[in-house]
Amino acid sequence: MNIPLTLVKATGLSAILFWAIIFTNKFNYIDTIPFVFLSLIPISICCALVICLTIAPFYWSKHEDTRYKTVYNTYFPFYAIIIFSLCLFGSIQADFDTHLTAFFASAFITTSKSWEWLAKTDAS
Amino acid sequence: MKNLPLFIGAILFSSLFHKQGIGLNFSLFSIVTLVILFFYNKTAFKVKSTIVFTISFFVAAFSVFVYNNSLSILAYIVTFITLTGHVSHQNTSIYINWLNGFFSSIAGFFYRNFNTSNASKIKTSQKDIDYLHLTKIVGIPLVVVIIFIALYKNGNPMFESIVNNINFKFINFQWLLFSVLGYYLLSNISKPVVVNPITNKDVITGNILKQKGDILVDNLKKEHQLGFILITVLNVLIVFFLITDITYLINADDFRASVFSSQVHSGINALIASIVMAIIIILYFFRGNLNFYKENKQLKLVAYIWIILNSILVINIAIKDYQYIYYFGFTYKRIGVLVYLLLTVIGLISTFIKVNKIKNFWYLFRINALTAFAILIVSCTINWDSLITTYNLYYAKSMDFNYLVNLSDNNTFILKYYMNTNDLNLEKELAIEKKYKSYIIALKDKNWQEIQFDNFKIK
Repeated sequence: MNIPLTLVKATGLSAILFWAIIFTNKFNYIDTIPFVFLSLIPISICCALVICLTIAPFYWSKHEDTRYKTVYNTYFPFYAIIIFSLCLFGSIQADFDTHLTAFFASAFITTSKSWEWLAKTDAS
Repeated sequence: MKNLPLFIGAILFSSLFHKQGIGLNFSLFSIVTLVILFFYNKTAFKVKSTIVFTISFFVAAFSVFVYNNSLSILAYIVTFITLTGHVSHQNTSIYINWLNGFFSSIAGFFYRNFNTSNASKIKTSQKDIDYLHLTKIVGIPLVVVIIFIALYKNGNPMFESIVNNINFKFINFQWLLFSVLGYYLLSNISKPVVVNPITNKDVITGNILKQKGDILVDNLKKEHQLGFILITVLNVLIVFFLITDITYLINADDFRASVFSSQVHSGINALIASIVMAIIIILYFFRGNLNFYKENKQLKLVAYIWIILNSILVINIAIKDYQYIYYFGFTYKRIGVLVYLLLTVIGLISTFIKVNKIKNFWYLFRINALTAFAILIVSCTINWDSLITTYNLYYAKSMDFNYLVNLSDNNTFILKYYMNTNDLNLEKELAIEKKYKSYIIALKDKNWQEIQFDNFKIK
């Protein structure tokens, strides 16, 4: 399980998704470039916290004989359902504000992909 | 080429839903959904139950078009999830269909992608386009070029002026993003996934309870005694409650709405507690080998009596609710009480069958979940606002007029007709007229994706 590599990938993916969604609303990419780079700091902190606190423990707590694939198949569906429900609730509460919806959408996709990365780095 | 239906579906998805309200688009999307599901899962549609769930999906979609209310939208979402889940596996319980359908819809792509074996991945990567490489050769240069444009812009005023004049407004990026969302959703449901091990466990779990180990007569005798005494005492208690309640009902002469309201709602609270307790206690005592104990007839008898007494309690509440409706008209809460009573009766009948036919806990879950689903589908086909308004205006002894005006627009034409055929005071006429005009404006402002059945009623 390669956590540093997963954190780098997750930060990159969530930053791309977050800004891609925001740019679809207001396409002023030139002026926003500094903020895009600056945003990598909070995004990486968020990714580190979420991955280390909510995803990695599933893999850490596995029994020695259990395969990573089994952990993924057993727990990921329920994790995805809970995270999706929370993100949808957040977006509804925010009345689908572009920035918050971008945050929740990127959070859901990044966490889902992180499950895969964590399991696959072990398999490879 | 294999993904062509998904691309077409994604474009249709965006055309139907991007910046649109709810109306005809839901019905049209149900056709898109069915085409995608059928195209990728032909064998699933050879099973009769899949056809039934497909019909229920179309019923809900049609209800959205006709009524456009929260209940029909809820029914649409539930039937969509159920159908998707049922296509993934046809021999599972309905709640497993919900789990599989919901999970497939939101994250099926990730799950499927992960579980694709490495061998098949290598095989497909040789045949198909290398999307990862394509993304890299387009994405990376694009990002780098944008960064350099930002840097050069500050170094040369002429360059800055040219860059500032670049206008991408002709591209609707939100529409494109919506298409991506549509593609993601349709891709997820095209090959619905199965959540394991829960699905496999459900498939192998039948409805019949099986004996666990040897029958220990002494233990079962003690448990039988405890159950018999407990349920008998509860039977006596519920009989006493029913006698006092029926006596009060016969002698009551106070028909104020507040009194009725408190009676019905306190009765419902008692009923909820009673039914839940009844089912938990029955499930506890009939969870294992007590079902196979030869001397359990007395316990079964008191359990049956308790179920019957609870049914009488249901009838008692139904009478109260009926009286309440007769004097003060329908409201959503009063209809909700009737629906709850119906569900309660079905719950009691299934508990009776569970005890009588020695069924397991999962049987109760399966039957009651399926019943709730069926009631939801039937409920979404009824225009409740119209029903409430018609009954309250023409049949109820008294009613709250403001309540009718504040209902959804589904009763607007009924109120307008009532106003035209009856003498109402100015305040009521103004309220109806205001509601009617705003509804007509809203109907006329709708795009083709948003039109609903009422659009055909106006000129």
